[in-house]
Amino acid sequence: MKTIFSQPLDSRSGKPSPEQTAQLDNLTRQQLKELEEKEKTPLQKALDLVIVLLPLVCSVVAMLEYQLIPNYTANKKPMTYLCLLVLLAVIYGLYLLFSLVKRGKGDRTVFDKVRYKAPLYSALFLFLALYDYLTLKTGILMYPFVPHLNAILNIAWEDRAYLIECTLHTLRLLFLGYFIGVALGLVTGITCGYSQKVRYWVTPIIKFLGPIPTSTWIPIIMVIASSLFGGAVFIIALGSWFAVTVASMTGISNVDKDYFEAAKTLGASERQLVFRVAIPHAMPSILQGCTQAMSSACTAIMIAEMMGVKAGLGWYMTWAKAWASYDKMFAALFVICFIFTVVTKALDLIKKRALRWQNGVVK
Amino acid sequence: MAENRHVTLKLEGVSKSFAKVENDEVTHALNNVDLTMESGEFISLVGPSGCGKSTILRLVAGLIPPTTGKITVNGQEVTKPSPERGMVFQKPTLFPWLTVEKNIAFSLQMQGKLKGNEDKVERMLKTIGLEDFRDDYPGQLSGGMAQRVALVRTLINEPEILTLDEPLGALDAFTRMNMQDEILNIWRQKKQLAVMVTHDVDEAIYMGTRVIVMEANPGRIVADIPIPDEYPRDRSSQTFVEYRNRILNKLHYGGKHQ
Repeated sequence: MKTIFSQPLDSRSGKPSPEQTAQLDNLTRQQLKELEEKEKTPLQKALDLVIVLLPLVCSVVAMLEYQLIPNYTANKKPMTYLCLLVLLAVIYGLYLLFSLVKRGKGDRTVFDKVRYKAPLYSALFLFLALYDYLTLKTGILMYPFVPHLNAILNIAWEDRAYLIECTLHTLRLLFLGYFIGVALGLVTGITCGYSQKVRYWVTPIIKFLGPIPTSTWIPIIMVIASSLFGGAVFIIALGSWFAVTVASMTGISNVDKDYFEAAKTLGASERQLVFRVAIPHAMPSILQGCTQAMSSACTAIMIAEMMGVKAGLGWYMTWAKAWASYDKMFAALFVICFIFTVVTKALDLIKKRALRWQNGVVK
Repeated sequence: MAENRHVTLKLEGVSKSFAKVENDEVTHALNNVDLTMESGEFISLVGPSGCGKSTILRLVAGLIPPTTGKITVNGQEVTKPSPERGMVFQKPTLFPWLTVEKNIAFSLQMQGKLKGNEDKVERMLKTIGLEDFRDDYPGQLSGGMAQRVALVRTLINEPEILTLDEPLGALDAFTRMNMQDEILNIWRQKKQLAVMVTHDVDEAIYMGTRVIVMEANPGRIVADIPIPDEYPRDRSSQTFVEYRNRILNKLHYGGKHQ
């Protein structure tokens, strides 16, 4: 979009021509950014191109490493890992292609994103290659304690039915506990933040229960709870409840008194002061609490499943360890890692969407 | 637009004291103030800080109760805030999570009157010339723009009493002069009772039909000066300068033209 200023300025007055000002009026944010940025030198442009191609190069390195170097240990069904590498490379390739097409049409945002992430993707492929070299190729990291990726992928595929069942169980437990905890936490946090009387009764409870790590409860719950599932839900809910209560309580009690006064003179009722002023104002803090609650829930669920609940991914891991099938353990670990990443990312997106008004604030 | 009913706002023997946070002492923000104001007047309250001028506004708005005495509107005692007594604060206090348009509509929405009154919001946006900014959030506005939005957010209720607590205090000199005229225009259309606190003597004379001069420790009224001059007023005219000298003298900042 550099074409906007391609016409020279009027040589005598130095003022932009009328057409130019008209174009300036219709400037989008992206175009403005490009206009104000320094033009990249040809060298930088070439470098950009090399960097976005680097992940593809690294993926080829990883494939060659896997194919060419002789194995140290036995490797059954060797194509699985290779397929994964090819798949990742193809996805990246398509993404890159898409961004290049977009850039051809003048929209550079996607390309900039690819350019920004490319070094990370390259490092990922190199890491895969390195890990494969250390396990399958040289045995520096010993099989079966540290299985190579192909073995993990194969076992995950073979045992997929049970793995999926466990995953679903974990998700069910996680979300049930999390949502109960968050919902109760919102109620207590908001009423505590707003009403001094409620705060009088609830703060001591929070102060007493707060410092106790969630995991401490597990043995007790395992003994007294009638169902293990219910007990686990309780533990997860307790942790999330605590995080959300504290965050929303501080959020609400920190609302600037000026906002309440303004709202009052504008005719807001007590109820509206809570729902239309206090809660929206405390939203950033409340959502922060929800994120914290998720990380505490993730910790709690793993401990609960490893210690007592006889299902779920945590249980799968301890069970696999008991049978010395370490590759299964690693497979479960990867699934857990994947689930938690997705959940955190989703929460982040929700947060960004809900707090749109915080963006672009001129300070 | 419907005419507002005629109102008489009375402060009778009003005192207000505040307990200090740090010790047991009590400060007397207002001491036995009597004041009567009518629709159609533009009252400017001037005085040094601590003279209780903002306290008067907050009492009138119903945000705080008086320690002694009473405040009445047409004989009815003021007990709580009401959109009939709109207030504009020194800080715009726009709700940062609502767009400009929704901020303006806030009051109607709270009272459940938004349905069928969308054109009012539109008219308010037009009054301040911010139609293009309707979907922006307050964080993206300049100080002057934000204060304009705050002004119409209050005006949308067509309040019979409009209180302004140093509304232009935080603005730069040019924006300030423009907004003085804007506020005057709005007030002259509706002729409601406007009460404005300011620490700027020129602003008080330029805008008010009456300038109330106050003093601190304890807060009290020391002069009540009517300004019958025609609008728009000339800041450099002889009478303007005389008013200014008179008020500054009352505030003990008198110059040589005594």
